Amino acid sequence: MHELYIADSILKSVRSSLPCNVAPALVTQVLVQVGKLDAVIPETLKFSFDAIKKSSAMPRAELLITEIPVRCRCRNCAHEFGIDLPVFICPACGGGHVEVLRGRGITLTRIMAEDPEGESNGNTSHS
Amino acid sequence: MEIPVIRDVLEESNARARENRAIFERHGVFVVNVMSSPGSGKTTLLQKTIPILKERAISCAVIEGDVSSTLDSERLAPLGIPVVQANTEPFGGDCHVGSHFVHAALKYLDLPSIEILFIENIGNLVCPAEFYLGEHRKVMMLSLTEGEDKPLKYPLMFRECQACLLSKMDLAPHLDANLDLLKSNIQKVNGAIHVLPISAKTGEGLMAWLDWLIAEMSNQP
Repeated sequence: MHELYIADSILKSVRSSLPCNVAPALVTQVLVQVGKLDAVIPETLKFSFDAIKKSSAMPRAELLITEIPVRCRCRNCAHEFGIDLPVFICPACGGGHVEVLRGRGITLTRIMAEDPEGESNGNTSHS
Repeated sequence: MEIPVIRDVLEESNARARENRAIFERHGVFVVNVMSSPGSGKTTLLQKTIPILKERAISCAVIEGDVSSTLDSERLAPLGIPVVQANTEPFGGDCHVGSHFVHAALKYLDLPSIEILFIENIGNLVCPAEFYLGEHRKVMMLSLTEGEDKPLKYPLMFRECQACLLSKMDLAPHLDANLDLLKSNIQKVNGAIHVLPISAKTGEGLMAWLDWLIAEMSNQP
Protein backbone atom coordinates (compact mmCIF):
# COMPACT_ATOMS: atom_id res chain seq x y z
CA MET A 1 0.00 0.00 0.00
CA HIS A 2 2.56 2.61 -1.03
CA GLU A 3 -0.33 4.41 -2.77
CA LEU A 4 -1.20 6.30 0.43
CA TYR A 5 2.37 7.59 0.75
CA ILE A 6 2.36 8.53 -2.95
CA ALA A 7 -1.02 10.28 -2.64
CA ASP A 8 0.37 12.31 0.25
CA SER A 9 3.49 13.15 -1.81
CA ILE A 10 1.28 14.27 -4.73
CA LEU A 11 -0.70 16.60 -2.46
CA LYS A 12 2.54 18.04 -1.01
CA SER A 13 3.91 18.57 -4.53
CA VAL A 14 0.70 20.31 -5.59
CA ARG A 15 0.75 22.61 -2.56
CA SER A 16 4.32 23.66 -3.16
CA SER A 17 3.71 24.16 -6.91
CA LEU A 18 0.79 26.57 -6.49
CA PRO A 19 1.45 30.24 -7.24
CA CYS A 20 1.14 32.27 -4.02
CA ASN A 21 -2.18 33.80 -5.11
CA VAL A 22 -3.85 30.41 -5.67
CA ALA A 23 -5.29 28.86 -2.53
CA PRO A 24 -5.28 25.03 -2.33
CA ALA A 25 -9.09 25.10 -2.08
CA LEU A 26 -9.22 26.38 -5.68
CA VAL A 27 -7.57 23.26 -7.09
CA THR A 28 -10.02 21.26 -9.22
CA GLN A 29 -7.81 18.72 -11.02
CA VAL A 30 -4.40 17.18 -10.48
CA LEU A 31 -2.80 15.31 -13.37
CA VAL A 32 -0.08 12.75 -12.79
CA GLN A 33 1.76 10.26 -14.94
CA VAL A 34 2.54 6.92 -13.34
CA GLY A 35 5.00 4.44 -14.82
CA LYS A 36 3.62 0.93 -15.34
CA LEU A 37 6.73 -0.44 -13.64
CA ASP A 38 5.92 1.35 -10.38
CA ALA A 39 3.26 -1.18 -9.42
CA VAL A 40 0.84 1.58 -8.49
CA ILE A 41 -2.81 0.59 -8.72
CA PRO A 42 -4.62 3.65 -10.15
CA GLU A 43 -7.90 2.91 -8.32
CA THR A 44 -6.06 2.56 -5.01
CA LEU A 45 -4.11 5.75 -5.62
CA LYS A 46 -7.33 7.65 -6.40
CA PHE A 47 -9.02 6.17 -3.34
CA SER A 48 -6.06 7.21 -1.15
CA PHE A 49 -5.96 10.68 -2.70
CA ASP A 50 -9.69 11.20 -2.12
CA ALA A 51 -9.36 10.02 1.47
CA ILE A 52 -6.74 12.61 2.42
CA LYS A 53 -7.36 15.55 0.08
CA LYS A 54 -9.65 17.30 2.57
CA SER A 55 -6.93 17.37 5.19
CA SER A 56 -4.70 19.03 2.61
CA ALA A 57 -7.36 21.72 2.06
CA MET A 58 -8.06 20.53 -1.50
CA PRO A 59 -11.51 19.01 -1.06
CA ARG A 60 -12.53 19.49 -4.69
CA ALA A 61 -9.33 18.23 -6.29
CA GLU A 62 -9.82 15.33 -8.67
CA LEU A 63 -6.85 13.10 -9.39
CA LEU A 64 -6.39 12.11 -13.05
CA ILE A 65 -3.86 9.36 -13.70
CA THR A 66 -2.18 8.51 -16.99
CA GLU A 67 -0.28 5.25 -17.01
CA ILE A 68 2.99 5.34 -18.94
CA PRO A 69 3.93 2.09 -20.68
CA VAL A 70 7.40 0.66 -20.23
CA ARG A 71 9.92 1.40 -22.97
CA CYS A 72 13.38 -0.15 -22.99
CA ARG A 73 16.72 -0.02 -24.79
CA CYS A 74 19.02 -2.98 -25.18
CA ARG A 75 22.52 -2.29 -23.84
CA ASN A 76 23.86 -4.84 -26.27
CA CYS A 77 22.42 -3.77 -29.66
CA ALA A 78 20.74 -0.42 -28.76
CA HIS A 79 17.37 -1.65 -30.08
CA GLU A 80 14.44 0.22 -28.50
CA PHE A 81 11.22 -1.61 -27.71
CA GLY A 82 8.09 -1.45 -25.59
CA ILE A 83 6.92 -4.22 -23.29
CA ASP A 84 3.48 -5.19 -22.00
CA LEU A 85 4.71 -8.03 -19.79
CA PRO A 86 7.62 -7.78 -17.36
CA VAL A 87 10.03 -9.61 -19.63
CA PHE A 88 13.08 -7.43 -20.16
CA ILE A 89 14.65 -9.32 -23.03
CA CYS A 90 15.61 -7.65 -26.30
CA PRO A 91 13.39 -8.97 -29.12
CA ALA A 92 16.13 -8.16 -31.65
CA CYS A 93 19.19 -9.87 -30.16
CA GLY A 94 17.82 -11.81 -27.17
CA GLY A 95 20.09 -9.90 -24.77
CA GLY A 96 18.99 -9.51 -21.16
CA HIS A 97 20.90 -6.32 -20.32
CA VAL A 98 18.18 -3.80 -20.88
CA GLU A 99 17.72 -0.29 -19.56
CA VAL A 100 14.33 1.26 -18.89
CA LEU A 101 13.78 4.52 -20.78
CA ARG A 102 10.16 5.21 -19.79
CA GLY A 103 7.57 3.70 -17.50
CA ARG A 104 9.26 4.25 -14.16
CA GLY A 105 8.48 7.13 -11.83
CA ILE A 106 5.59 9.33 -10.84
CA THR A 107 5.37 12.82 -12.30
CA LEU A 108 3.03 15.68 -11.53
CA THR A 109 2.29 17.20 -14.93
CA ARG A 110 -0.53 19.71 -14.53
CA ILE A 111 -2.75 21.37 -11.96
CA MET A 112 -6.11 22.91 -12.85
CA ALA A 113 -7.52 25.52 -10.50
CA GLU A 114 -10.25 28.12 -10.47
CA ASP A 115 -9.04 31.64 -11.00
CA PRO A 116 -8.42 33.48 -7.73
CA GLU A 117 -11.08 36.05 -6.70
CA GLY A 118 -10.90 39.25 -8.69
CA GLU A 119 -8.36 37.85 -11.15
CA SER A 120 -10.75 36.20 -13.57
CA ASN A 121 -9.99 37.24 -17.11
CA GLY A 122 -13.62 36.88 -18.08
CA ASN A 123 -13.06 33.78 -20.21
CA THR A 124 -13.54 31.34 -17.37
CA SER A 125 -17.08 30.36 -16.59
CA HIS A 126 -17.72 29.47 -12.95
CA SER A 127 -20.03 26.51 -12.57
CA MET B 1 -6.55 28.32 -14.84
CA GLU B 2 -3.92 25.81 -15.78
CA ILE B 3 -0.71 25.50 -13.80
CA PRO B 4 1.80 23.48 -15.82
CA VAL B 5 4.39 21.64 -13.75
CA ILE B 6 6.78 18.83 -14.42
CA ARG B 7 7.73 17.52 -11.05
CA ASP B 8 8.86 14.22 -9.65
CA VAL B 9 6.28 13.43 -7.00
CA LEU B 10 8.91 11.65 -4.90
CA GLU B 11 11.41 14.51 -5.11
CA GLU B 12 11.25 15.24 -1.38
CA SER B 13 11.92 11.59 -0.59
CA ASN B 14 14.74 11.45 -3.16
CA ALA B 15 16.28 14.68 -1.88
CA ARG B 16 16.43 13.24 1.62
CA ALA B 17 17.96 10.05 0.20
CA ARG B 18 20.67 12.11 -1.52
CA GLU B 19 21.37 13.82 1.81
CA ASN B 20 21.71 10.38 3.41
CA ARG B 21 24.09 9.33 0.65
CA ALA B 22 26.25 12.42 1.18
CA ILE B 23 26.45 11.58 4.90
CA PHE B 24 27.44 7.98 4.09
CA GLU B 25 30.14 9.17 1.68
CA ARG B 26 31.51 11.65 4.22
CA HIS B 27 31.97 8.90 6.79
CA GLY B 28 32.98 6.12 4.41
CA VAL B 29 30.00 3.90 5.24
CA PHE B 30 28.91 1.31 2.65
CA VAL B 31 25.15 0.90 2.87
CA VAL B 32 23.13 -2.13 1.78
CA ASN B 33 19.33 -2.09 1.65
CA VAL B 34 18.06 -5.65 2.24
CA MET B 35 14.53 -6.39 1.02
CA SER B 36 12.23 -9.40 0.70
CA SER B 37 8.79 -10.77 1.55
CA PRO B 38 8.12 -11.30 5.24
CA GLY B 39 9.83 -14.49 6.41
CA SER B 40 12.33 -14.96 3.58
CA GLY B 41 15.21 -14.77 6.01
CA LYS B 42 16.54 -11.19 6.13
CA THR B 43 17.23 -11.23 9.87
CA THR B 44 18.69 -14.74 9.71
CA LEU B 45 20.97 -13.64 6.86
CA LEU B 46 22.25 -10.77 9.01
CA GLN B 47 22.69 -13.13 11.98
CA LYS B 48 24.94 -15.31 9.80
CA THR B 49 26.70 -12.56 7.85
CA ILE B 50 27.69 -10.14 10.60
CA PRO B 51 29.80 -12.57 12.70
CA ILE B 52 31.86 -13.42 9.60
CA LEU B 53 32.36 -9.72 8.83
CA LYS B 54 33.39 -9.16 12.45
CA GLU B 55 35.96 -11.97 12.15
CA ARG B 56 37.35 -10.13 9.13
CA ALA B 57 37.53 -6.95 11.26
CA ILE B 58 34.79 -5.22 9.25
CA SER B 59 32.56 -3.19 11.55
CA CYS B 60 28.81 -3.34 10.95
CA ALA B 61 25.60 -1.77 12.12
CA VAL B 62 21.95 -2.37 11.29
CA ILE B 63 18.90 -0.17 10.91
CA GLU B 64 16.06 -2.55 11.60
CA GLY B 65 12.83 -1.50 9.92
CA ASP B 66 9.52 -2.89 11.06
CA VAL B 67 5.95 -1.67 11.21
CA SER B 68 5.94 -2.55 14.90
CA SER B 69 7.74 -4.67 17.55
CA THR B 70 11.41 -4.93 18.48
CA LEU B 71 11.61 -8.69 17.86
CA ASP B 72 14.18 -8.49 15.05
CA SER B 73 16.53 -6.16 16.92
CA GLU B 74 16.30 -8.50 19.93
CA ARG B 75 17.50 -11.30 17.65
CA LEU B 76 20.44 -9.18 16.50
CA ALA B 77 21.36 -7.90 20.00
CA PRO B 78 23.70 -10.85 20.83
CA LEU B 79 25.89 -9.87 17.85
CA GLY B 80 27.15 -6.92 19.89
CA ILE B 81 26.87 -4.38 17.08
CA PRO B 82 24.87 -1.13 16.97
CA VAL B 83 21.25 -1.84 15.99
CA VAL B 84 18.71 0.95 15.61
CA GLN B 85 15.15 -0.30 15.72
CA ALA B 86 13.02 2.01 13.65
CA ASN B 87 9.31 1.31 13.61
CA THR B 88 7.19 2.99 10.97
CA GLU B 89 4.11 3.17 13.19
CA PRO B 90 5.04 6.64 14.46
CA PHE B 91 5.45 7.58 10.78
CA GLY B 92 1.95 6.37 9.96
CA GLY B 93 2.61 2.65 9.62
CA ASP B 94 4.33 2.87 6.26
CA CYS B 95 4.83 -0.40 4.42
CA HIS B 96 8.43 0.46 3.55
CA VAL B 97 11.45 2.15 5.11
CA GLY B 98 11.54 5.75 3.87
CA SER B 99 14.57 8.01 3.40
CA HIS B 100 13.36 10.32 6.21
CA PHE B 101 13.21 7.29 8.44
CA VAL B 102 16.84 6.33 7.67
CA HIS B 103 17.85 9.95 8.22
CA ALA B 104 16.22 9.94 11.65
CA ALA B 105 17.97 6.68 12.57
CA LEU B 106 21.45 7.97 11.65
CA LYS B 107 21.72 10.19 14.70
CA TYR B 108 21.82 7.07 16.87
CA LEU B 109 24.86 5.66 15.06
CA ASP B 110 28.53 6.53 15.36
CA LEU B 111 29.03 6.59 11.59
CA PRO B 112 32.83 7.08 11.49
CA SER B 113 33.23 3.72 13.25
CA ILE B 114 30.97 1.80 10.82
CA GLU B 115 32.12 0.23 7.55
CA ILE B 116 28.93 -1.57 6.47
CA LEU B 117 25.46 -0.43 7.42
CA PHE B 118 22.62 -2.82 6.62
CA ILE B 119 19.11 -1.47 6.34
CA GLU B 120 16.71 -4.34 6.91
CA ASN B 121 13.63 -3.13 5.11
CA ILE B 122 10.06 -4.06 5.97
CA GLY B 123 8.99 -7.45 4.62
CA ASN B 124 7.17 -6.60 1.39
CA LEU B 125 8.03 -7.30 -2.27
CA VAL B 126 6.18 -4.25 -3.63
CA CYS B 127 6.56 -0.96 -1.79
CA PRO B 128 10.21 -0.98 -0.63
CA ALA B 129 11.35 -1.35 -4.25
CA GLU B 130 9.93 2.08 -5.06
CA PHE B 131 12.02 4.17 -2.68
CA TYR B 132 15.68 5.20 -2.87
CA LEU B 133 17.16 5.59 0.60
CA GLY B 134 20.68 6.73 -0.32
CA GLU B 135 22.04 3.18 -0.18
CA HIS B 136 24.95 1.92 -2.33
CA ARG B 137 23.41 -1.47 -3.12
CA LYS B 138 19.96 -3.01 -3.07
CA VAL B 139 19.83 -6.69 -2.28
CA MET B 140 16.75 -8.88 -2.21
CA MET B 141 16.01 -12.34 -0.92
CA LEU B 142 13.53 -14.81 -2.30
CA SER B 143 13.02 -18.05 -0.43
CA LEU B 144 12.47 -21.24 -2.37
CA THR B 145 9.00 -21.68 -0.90
CA GLU B 146 7.68 -18.46 -2.45
CA GLY B 147 7.23 -19.77 -5.98
CA GLU B 148 8.96 -19.48 -9.34
CA ASP B 149 6.51 -16.85 -10.62
CA LYS B 150 7.50 -14.10 -8.19
CA PRO B 151 9.96 -12.27 -10.49
CA LEU B 152 7.15 -11.85 -13.05
CA LYS B 153 4.68 -10.73 -10.40
CA TYR B 154 6.94 -8.23 -8.64
CA PRO B 155 9.23 -7.04 -11.44
CA LEU B 156 10.22 -3.69 -9.93
CA MET B 157 11.90 -5.36 -6.94
CA PHE B 158 13.90 -7.66 -9.22
CA ARG B 159 14.74 -4.74 -11.55
CA GLU B 160 15.99 -2.51 -8.73
CA CYS B 161 18.31 -4.97 -6.98
CA GLN B 162 21.90 -5.81 -7.85
CA ALA B 163 21.77 -9.20 -6.13
CA CYS B 164 19.04 -11.75 -5.47
CA LEU B 165 19.72 -14.29 -2.74
CA LEU B 166 17.71 -17.49 -3.16
CA SER B 167 17.27 -18.48 0.46
CA LYS B 168 16.32 -21.72 2.25
CA MET B 169 18.18 -23.82 -0.35
CA ASP B 170 18.32 -26.63 2.24
CA LEU B 171 14.58 -27.11 1.64
CA ALA B 172 15.07 -27.88 -2.06
CA PRO B 173 14.92 -31.71 -1.70
CA HIS B 174 11.59 -31.41 0.12
CA LEU B 175 9.89 -29.07 -2.34
CA ASP B 176 8.71 -29.23 -5.93
CA ALA B 177 10.52 -25.95 -6.57
CA ASN B 178 11.89 -25.70 -10.10
CA LEU B 179 15.16 -23.86 -9.63
CA ASP B 180 15.90 -23.57 -13.34
CA LEU B 181 12.52 -21.98 -14.01
CA LEU B 182 12.98 -19.62 -11.07
CA LYS B 183 16.42 -18.53 -12.30
CA SER B 184 15.15 -18.12 -15.84
CA ASN B 185 12.26 -15.93 -14.63
CA ILE B 186 14.72 -13.78 -12.67
CA GLN B 187 16.91 -13.39 -15.77
CA LYS B 188 13.86 -12.43 -17.85
CA VAL B 189 13.22 -9.49 -15.55
CA ASN B 190 16.82 -8.49 -14.89
CA GLY B 191 19.63 -10.04 -16.89
CA ALA B 192 22.24 -8.14 -14.88
CA ILE B 193 21.26 -9.30 -11.37
CA HIS B 194 23.60 -11.61 -9.44
CA VAL B 195 21.73 -14.71 -8.32
CA LEU B 196 23.20 -16.24 -5.17
CA PRO B 197 21.63 -19.47 -3.82
CA ILE B 198 22.06 -19.60 -0.06
CA SER B 199 21.11 -21.55 3.04
CA ALA B 200 21.60 -19.97 6.42
CA LYS B 201 21.03 -23.39 7.94
CA THR B 202 23.74 -25.37 6.12
CA GLY B 203 25.97 -22.41 5.26
CA GLU B 204 25.64 -23.12 1.52
CA GLY B 205 26.42 -20.02 -0.52
CA LEU B 206 27.31 -17.85 2.47
CA MET B 207 30.91 -17.37 1.33
CA ALA B 208 29.84 -16.50 -2.22
CA TRP B 209 27.50 -13.86 -0.76
CA LEU B 210 30.28 -12.50 1.48
CA ASP B 211 32.68 -12.37 -1.46
CA TRP B 212 30.10 -10.50 -3.55
CA LEU B 213 29.40 -8.06 -0.71
CA ILE B 214 33.06 -7.30 -0.03
CA ALA B 215 33.83 -6.94 -3.75
CA GLU B 216 30.92 -4.48 -4.10
CA MET B 217 32.15 -2.58 -1.05
CA SER B 218 35.54 -2.09 -2.68
CA ASN B 219 33.94 -1.23 -6.05
CA GLN B 220 31.47 1.35 -4.77
CA PRO B 221 29.65 3.55 -5.77
